[in-house]
Formats: sequence, C-alpha cells, structure tokens
Amino acid sequence: MTDAIQKPEKKKSSLLQLDARTRTRNAAEKRFKAYGMIAIAFGLLMLSILVFNIVTRGAGAYQQTFVALEVELLAGKLDKKGNRDLDDIKKISTFGYTPLLSNALEAKIIELGIETDLKAKKMVGILSKSAAAQVRDYVLNNPNKIGETIGFEFLASSRVDGYLKGRVSRDSIGNDKNISPAQLDLVDALKAEGCLAKRFNMSFITGSDASDARPEAAGMGTSMIGSFFMMLVVLVLALPIGVAASIYLEEFAPKNWITDIIEVNISNLAAVPSIVFGILGLAVFINYMHLPNSAPLVGGLVLTLMTLPTIIISTRASLKAVPPSIRDAALGVGASKMQSVFHHVLPLAAPGILTGTIIGLAQALGETAPLLLIGMVGFIASNPPDSIATGLLSPNSAMPAQIYEWAKRADPAFYERAWGGIIILLVFLVTINTIAVILRRRFERRW
Amino acid sequence: MNDKNIMESHMGTTAIKISARDVKVYYGDNHAIKDVSIDIEDKTVTAFIGPSGCGKSTFLRCLNRMNDTIDICKVTGSIRIDDEDIYDRRVDPVQLRAKVGMVFQKPNPFPKSIYDNVAYGPRIHGLAQNKADLDDIVERALRRGAIWNEVKDRLQSPGTGLSGGQQQRLCIARAVATEPEVLLMDEPCSALDPIATAQVEELIDELRQSFSVVIVTHSMQQAARVSQKTAFFHLGNMVEYGETGQIFTTPQDPRTESYITGRIG
Repeated sequence: MTDAIQKPEKKKSSLLQLDARTRTRNAAEKRFKAYGMIAIAFGLLMLSILVFNIVTRGAGAYQQTFVALEVELLAGKLDKKGNRDLDDIKKISTFGYTPLLSNALEAKIIELGIETDLKAKKMVGILSKSAAAQVRDYVLNNPNKIGETIGFEFLASSRVDGYLKGRVSRDSIGNDKNISPAQLDLVDALKAEGCLAKRFNMSFITGSDASDARPEAAGMGTSMIGSFFMMLVVLVLALPIGVAASIYLEEFAPKNWITDIIEVNISNLAAVPSIVFGILGLAVFINYMHLPNSAPLVGGLVLTLMTLPTIIISTRASLKAVPPSIRDAALGVGASKMQSVFHHVLPLAAPGILTGTIIGLAQALGETAPLLLIGMVGFIASNPPDSIATGLLSPNSAMPAQIYEWAKRADPAFYERAWGGIIILLVFLVTINTIAVILRRRFERRW
Repeated sequence: MNDKNIMESHMGTTAIKISARDVKVYYGDNHAIKDVSIDIEDKTVTAFIGPSGCGKSTFLRCLNRMNDTIDICKVTGSIRIDDEDIYDRRVDPVQLRAKVGMVFQKPNPFPKSIYDNVAYGPRIHGLAQNKADLDDIVERALRRGAIWNEVKDRLQSPGTGLSGGQQQRLCIARAVATEPEVLLMDEPCSALDPIATAQVEELIDELRQSFSVVIVTHSMQQAARVSQKTAFFHLGNMVEYGETGQIFTTPQDPRTESYITGRIG
C-alpha cells in the first residue's frame, strides 16, 4: 500500500541543463533549417548555372564581325542609261552588285599590300550574302550617289564571325565548302590591318530573321514587334473580360451550383496545357473564322484564352481580400451594390488585379506551344509593320517562337543567336515581373 | 402587457418611427429571430441589449435591410418606417439605406481622405449642388460627429490614419452626412477605449435631437447611460421592452432580471 501512494521522486531539473527531450527537439529544428538552406542553396546554384550559361553562350550574338570597305558605285554597272531613273536602277538585281564588292575588296587588299592567291570571286566569300543587298538598298535610297565611292561596313559571313569568336577553326572547316583556309588567312591579314573587327551589333536587337544561308544578319526585332502586338491583344481583351467576369462572379452572382461549376471550370482551365489552346485557336480562329495564318491577332486571341483563367483567379482572390467592412460601409451610406464595388472594392483590389494581369501577360509572353499550331513558328522574315492593322494581321513570329526556330536550325551560328534571344526574352520577363512587384508594393494598403 | 402600457403612455409625446410586427429571421435552417414586434419612437435612443447570439444585431440589420447582402438570410413579418413597409417589393434597399443610416461595430472608414469619407454619401445621393455646398455638408456632418475640431486642419489626410475613437466618430459623421432619419448603431463602442466611448456616448445623446437612434450594445451601463428605451433580447426573442429606467430597476421578466444582475449571459 505504501508503495502505491509513494510518489515517484521528481528529478530536480536545472534550467541551465537541457533535458533529453529538448535536445531532440532542438536537433530536429536544426536539421529542418539545414534542409531548407540546402534547398535554397541548390536552387540558387542552379539559377546561377543557368544565368551563367545563357550569358556566356548568348553574349556572342550581340557582337558581330564587320568589314569596312569603300565601294565605288560604278555608274556603268548600276545605271547604264545614265538618267538616274529609279525604275531602271531597280532592274539591277542584288547579283549585279556582287562585282562591285569584289572590286572593292580586291582594291583594299592591293592597297594594304596583302598577298593572297584567292580570286576576287572567292574573296567575297568572307562577306555576308547580305552585303550586296545592303549596297543595293543604299543605292535605291540615294540614286544621286551613283558614281561616287562610299564607305560601307559589311557583315562578315557567319564562318568568319565564328572564326573570330573561336567557334570555327582551321581544323573544323575541312569539309566546309563555305570557307577555305586561304580565306581565313585573308581574314587574319585584314584583322591585323584593322579593317575587319568585332563590334556591338544593334541589328540583332532591331533586325528581322534571316534565311539559313546568312545567320549573321538575323535579328529579334520583328519578332519583338510580333510579341508586342500579341500582348496588346491580350491586354485589350483579357483584362476587361477577366475583371468583369471576376467582379460578376465574386460580387453579384448568386452562390449556387451553377456558379460552383463555373468556378471549378475556371480553375481547371488554368491548368489546361497551352498546346490545347493552340489547337483550339487553329480550329476556331483560322479554320472556322478564317483569320489569317501566322497573324499576331490570332496569337493574341489564343493567348487571351490562356491568360483569362489566370487573371480571373487572381482578380477574384484580390476582390475576396477586400474586407467586407468596406462593402458594409458603402452600403450603409446608401451606395448601390455597383457603386460599392466600383467606388470602393475595385480600387482596393486594383493592385492585386494589376499584379495578376502582369504575371498573366508575362506567362503569355513566354508561351511557345500554342504558336506552333497557328503558324507563328517558322521562317518569317517580314519587315517591321507600317501600321497597327498590318502589325496585327500580317504574318509575324514572336520572341519565344523565334528562339525555338533558331535553336532547331543546323548552323551553329543560329544556336548562338537562340541564346542571345533568350537573354532578350529574359530581360523582358524580369522587367515585367519587377514592375509587378513595384506596383504591388506601392499600392498595397494595410487596414 | 406592461410594455404596451408604457408604449401607449409615450404615444402622446413622441411619434412611432419604426414599427415591427412578427418579424422572423432565418439564416438557412437557423431560426435567428422569433416573432419580434416592437415600436421604436422618433427622437429617442433605443438600446437593444442581450447576450451574444441573441439576435439583437440581426434584428438591427433588418431595419435597413443590410441582411439582404447575405444570401441565405430570409426575413418575414412586417417592418414599417413612417408607415411604409420596407420589405415591400417596390422598395429599393439603396433608397432605404439613405434614410436609415448605419454605424458598424468596427470603425470602417474608407481608405480615402477624411473629406471624401464624409462627402461620399452626399455625392452619390446628389445632396450638394456645388463644391461650396459639399464643403458645408461635410463641415456640418463633422461638427455633428463631434470631430470637426480635431480634423478640420487635415481634411485631406486619410481617414484610416485617425485613432480608433476618431475613426468611429468619423463613421458617425459619414452616416449623418446623408441626412438619415434613423441611425442604427451596432455596438459602436466595442472597439473603443473608455475615453473614446464617453465621447461617442455624448455624441449619441446629441444626435437624439435630430434622429431616432437605435443602438445595440453589450454594455448594460452604456444602455443605461445613453438610452431612453431598452429592449432585452434573449435566444431570438424580444423578452422585454420598456423605459430604460424601468427595465434596469424593475424588470418584469425573470430572464431580464437574471441578465441585468449578471446571472445569465
């Protein structure tokens, strides 16, 4: 009996000494923190590897090798009748300008005293195939300059460019019919004389895509314009439709099984693979409504469908976050439902709506899959559009589609441009997301 | 029976502003208010007291149809203001709420300037012809809200930057700016400290000159201090209604007595 009543002797504990239970708890917490830090470190490592790769591989696309030459615009070749009639001058094709280039190059080589066994025709091989077109464009714009000698900076061919960037070497061109070791000797000599050099290439950012034969002339500019017009369509359509739908669903619609089904469906739509939206766009906008192929308008419509659920979900979330007391206050002074929504709830939800919209836009900007199906991926070397209508309706590409297009071409020079394009795309995305964060910070209200 | 006598004794001096008959409120399956009939007088402060969940706030929100915003809420019976049934099909709750202002438990100024807070009601109801008119209305409302002296120099600063008591008086000013005839207050002092409470109570007493004020309160002392009439709610029923002094000194119903002496609730 006495044993039963006897209390187990309570161990005297000291606050200065951790007991076993506390030690295990502390160890568990330490372990958990370590896992978290490892995860973050791993993420940062991957991110820095990614950024390092993109930058090192893509930076080359922003530099291009140029050759400075003085070309004599021979009147006898370009304007045989001598009347400076633009129509007559236009009859001379790009091919007719090639002799001018070889003459200029030959003259330069003689002037510099470079020795080479190459024939003039072969020498021109170090220049880009776009060089003749460049001279022709100049002549057509300035017909009065015919007969004069004009200084030009021509793109070097992609092999020469690759040689300067270390991508092409004498060993690697054994079977390459586009370039010979003798041409590379000439390049070395010209480089030593300073009339062939690498420099920053603006036309990679502003220019349009170029054919397989001249990767050195390809640029992102036109596809950026395509992306811009698509984003315009997305913004103009998705923002008002998305916001109106969310306001109705959140503030006005009765809560019943129909709105429940709509809500579930919107959430599901947000998870639908984007290629499905692409095939929908192909079926509805192109095959049924006969909108033009490859048009940014169609791309924008498809991306609108894709972005709407994102916008609706984030708008509803930010409407929900507005405290009901604000609605009560507005209704309490006799505002109608719509007044309370538009005067009070919507302005308070605006930062959230804006953030959601911007993130939706950023998603749409980087989307490639749906564009595959509506013909926006491919060689689309269009000129920059001259009006909003042509911008929307004439064939164009988009930034991610352009990158994809370059990445699948055979020439390694295009591969470099794909990485360069990724840099531009990432700069856009980071800018957009930064704007979203700044807007949210600035307009956020606390209660 | 006794309530009725008291009511009748007052009929001679003050008019009936709100008359509710057999009001029942359901939240879905929950029967929140059971058969409440009450006559609320004009230019009087009427207090609703009772334990939490007894339906006093629910009933208050019936008086300006704020319950309409809750989908599952259903109200039956009749509530007449100036002899017009406010649940009549032809009544637009928006118009009703301009006539029956409301102050909420938690101060809820709009996150806008003090001026815009008060000017919002008059603006949407078109009470002001021009800017000067609106300025007058805002000043008058802020004076009636007993907050003019504290905010007159910073009308453009945000209403949310005021202290809790000031915010609540701003909300009262906002409610009176639309010139309502009835002012409903749902525990207006529950989030305030004693000093702010005293200020608001003083204000309520002044507002009685112009409005019929109905106040829901958890504090029996407050009800005793500010109101002329008191109604005691319990479990969805209105147990007793009468002169405040009589309710607190000689309650007729044993439940009222238990509550005010602190045995239930």
